[in-house]
Amino acid sequence: MPTVKRFTLLKCLFYAGFFVLALSLAGMQLFQGAKFGELSKKNCIKLLPQPGARGRIIDRNGTVLAGNVLSYDVMVLPQKNVQLENILRRIAPVLHSTVKELRSNFTRGVVAPFIPVAVARNISLQQAIAIEEIKMDTPGVIVQPHPVRFYPEGKLAAHVLGYLNEIDHWRLSKLAEYGYTEKDTVGYSGVEEKYDYYLQPSEGGVSVEVDHRGRVSRIIGFKPPVNGRDIQLTLDSGIQRIAEQALAGRKGCVVIIEPQSGEILALASSPTFDPQAFVSKDTEALRSFLQDNGGVFLNRAIGGAYAPGSVFKLVTAAAALETGKTDYGKIIDCRGSLKLGKEEFNCSSVHGLQDLKHAIAHSCNIYFYNMGILLGGQTIHDYALKFGYGRNSGVELPYETPGVVPEPLWKRIYKLKRWFDGDSVNFSIGQGDLLVTPLQVARMMAVFANGGHLVSPYIVKSIDGVDPRAGRYKRPVKVPVSGEHLAYLRGALRMVVSEDTGTAHVLSGLPVTIAGKTGTAQATGGKCHAWFCGFFPYDNPRYVICSFLENGGSGYQSSLMTREIIVEMANKGMI
Amino acid sequence: MNRSGRLFLFVALLIALMGIISIYSGTFQKQSGAFEGIYLRQALWVALGIAAFFFVSRMNYRLLWDATYFLYAGMVFLLLLVFMMGIVKLGAQRWLRLGLLSFQPSEAAKLVMVIFLAKYFSDKSADSISPAAQKFGLLRAVFIPLAFVIAPAALIIEQPDLGSGLLVLILFMCMLYLSGIKLRYPLSLTAAALLMLPVGWHFLHGYQKDRIMVFLNPSIDPLGAGYTIIQSRIAVGSGGLIGKGWLSGTQSQLHFLPESHTDFIFATFAEEWGFAGCLALLSLYYLIIREGIRISSQTGDAFGRLLAAGISIMLFVQVMVNIAMNMGLAPVVGVPLPLMSYGGTSVLVTCISLGILANISRSRAAY
Repeated sequence: MPTVKRFTLLKCLFYAGFFVLALSLAGMQLFQGAKFGELSKKNCIKLLPQPGARGRIIDRNGTVLAGNVLSYDVMVLPQKNVQLENILRRIAPVLHSTVKELRSNFTRGVVAPFIPVAVARNISLQQAIAIEEIKMDTPGVIVQPHPVRFYPEGKLAAHVLGYLNEIDHWRLSKLAEYGYTEKDTVGYSGVEEKYDYYLQPSEGGVSVEVDHRGRVSRIIGFKPPVNGRDIQLTLDSGIQRIAEQALAGRKGCVVIIEPQSGEILALASSPTFDPQAFVSKDTEALRSFLQDNGGVFLNRAIGGAYAPGSVFKLVTAAAALETGKTDYGKIIDCRGSLKLGKEEFNCSSVHGLQDLKHAIAHSCNIYFYNMGILLGGQTIHDYALKFGYGRNSGVELPYETPGVVPEPLWKRIYKLKRWFDGDSVNFSIGQGDLLVTPLQVARMMAVFANGGHLVSPYIVKSIDGVDPRAGRYKRPVKVPVSGEHLAYLRGALRMVVSEDTGTAHVLSGLPVTIAGKTGTAQATGGKCHAWFCGFFPYDNPRYVICSFLENGGSGYQSSLMTREIIVEMANKGMI
Repeated sequence: MNRSGRLFLFVALLIALMGIISIYSGTFQKQSGAFEGIYLRQALWVALGIAAFFFVSRMNYRLLWDATYFLYAGMVFLLLLVFMMGIVKLGAQRWLRLGLLSFQPSEAAKLVMVIFLAKYFSDKSADSISPAAQKFGLLRAVFIPLAFVIAPAALIIEQPDLGSGLLVLILFMCMLYLSGIKLRYPLSLTAAALLMLPVGWHFLHGYQKDRIMVFLNPSIDPLGAGYTIIQSRIAVGSGGLIGKGWLSGTQSQLHFLPESHTDFIFATFAEEWGFAGCLALLSLYYLIIREGIRISSQTGDAFGRLLAAGISIMLFVQVMVNIAMNMGLAPVVGVPLPLMSYGGTSVLVTCISLGILANISRSRAAY
């Protein structure tokens, strides 16, 4: 009978069907169970984020340079939005806004029904209190406090601090693997950028279980947010303020460091910007920053490379003494110019007979031209490197530039030209292709102030009370210049101020004895760069100062600015 | 009642109990309006079903032989009635209102078609005691029964209820095969049906096409047509070995799973009771259907034999398609899980079917 066979087939189908079902069930529930379990959790467990406060940045005395204040956002819960119009009508007058604007903020902000939507941000405390009262009889309104950056000292040390902004594409691509996501606020330039990872708060929040419409069905747990770590700087806000006031908006910068340790006490750059504008989204101010072609965001002390002019003569002098090209008694007659082939190299005036001491005090070019020819480009280059030029000082700030220290090979490679004696002549007085940063100049001066050591300048004193350099402290490097020569040059630096004909004589007669060197560097386009770099008190140096004015005229201008700073510091009892 | 009858009663009650528990869970969070006490309604239907089971299992199934044409006519009439004045729920016109209760004729149509086909293919010729079907020509073997099947199937598909309509067609093919007619007829019919598929595609509703497309690739529309499959797979899979516990399935309790008390009751159950529960449930279905096939193969009477086979196939296909669809192994078509899914007609018809099986078993034993 055929039907018997056909029944057998039916039975086979039946067994096979149940077998396949049981097998696929085992596959899904046993082998893929964990995966589907995760998916089901992802479906229903959501996090309502609660921001923590970004770490503060304080100066060496504990003065807060970048702190936080509570800001208030008005949020509306989308799930109770049946009364949206009513809510908006009531809160609009308090916020000095229109219902229409608030409604458009709301509709743009809706993500999911369990996430409250901000209709107005950064409202004042008074407004927040007024809305808290409205909240009593209109459910669905939330006033959410959250910390935002606040700069109690205003623009002070803006270049050191940096500013905050929403993460950009470039930074995101770099930082995504460290847990940064879109819409994160991150530091731009300065300590805010360099130490962003430490300053970032870790977000806490309430984890809730939501249903398929995103409505909260229960609260699972709360993870408190963790504030970012505080960073203490070596800056002294008092000195910093004096330095910034002395700059008075002119293009330039002032660096003051402690010569023994390399601690940066002031790092002022001008023109400057107000970092608060980025927090308050002050479009007017931001636009003016962008349109300003004076480089408001450039930290000139570390990010600008300039010809040093005569302050570089100290390197030439040290090299000449160490290599025996000159001695204390060698005298060169300055007739106001030096003819080399067809070219004529000038001096600032006719100085007559000069020994090295006086050549430094008067900043006589002729003496150093001769030294330059005797030393040659390579030797000057080598000594420049020993004094810290041509490479980053290693300060913990982003966008530091190493500058340029030329040498014959460098010229061959980059300029495709031979090195001439004229290049050595220019090099010897800090002109030509040489470019340095004001911080490098201050670092060089610290060598003369501290008895021969090249220090590594630093600006971060501690992170959450812990010295980040602990255990890997970088000792100052002994510069290979003999103590006798150093003492001699140190004396020459004092003569720059103490001699009546010294180029920085304007700095004499102050309550503190100062030594230093001026510089007037010819700059392409415009006036010369004005330099003064020195240290004080002369006998027991506690401060190295480098004053720089970009296209500021002669070194005299910088000396004047230095005088202003030192007088003010003395008035405030800091010295 | 003999051994088979007791088995059916016991197993059916167990499955129905699991069903009521899962319906309670599936609608636990929706305590409003239409879902209020829905599990009690299901319990009522189960009670009615059990009563019907007792009644049918005591009534000689040969009576169905005599009543076949009345049943068929009544079924077509009800389907037409649905077509004209049915209630529309979820975009489909499938229900007739009977006072407080609603009735779904397409569910009953499945059983009636099984009875009709069993009678048609077990007709005896005048000169022989063996069924005439083996000698049927093409006309009597295929075209006449096809005409009788196509009419209700078309009405059901038009409701639209693609699942039940296709089920009727599948039942027809299976019974054609089992009836003992020449093998080339069912084979060529299957081939013809496959050839017709591209044509049939154009008659499908847009959402039905979507469902088949998302079955092939759920990620093409994860929030639309693919949503159900994805959520149902997550529900079944996340059950793991022992499940999340009764009333604790996040997929069903938080409404990620649509239709958690009807077509997707299995996902609700699987999420909360895990692989262990699913295996138990599958075993219960296995017991019932195996018993049905055993009764069929041991019955001498051609009508009873085909009837038992048809009922077993009907239950089997529904269980297979529904569970496969819950696991994302079959496209989403409206096929209930017998005795589990919420739906009075389905429960009642399943209980009556089991009653008929019990009766066939008893009557055979009496020979």
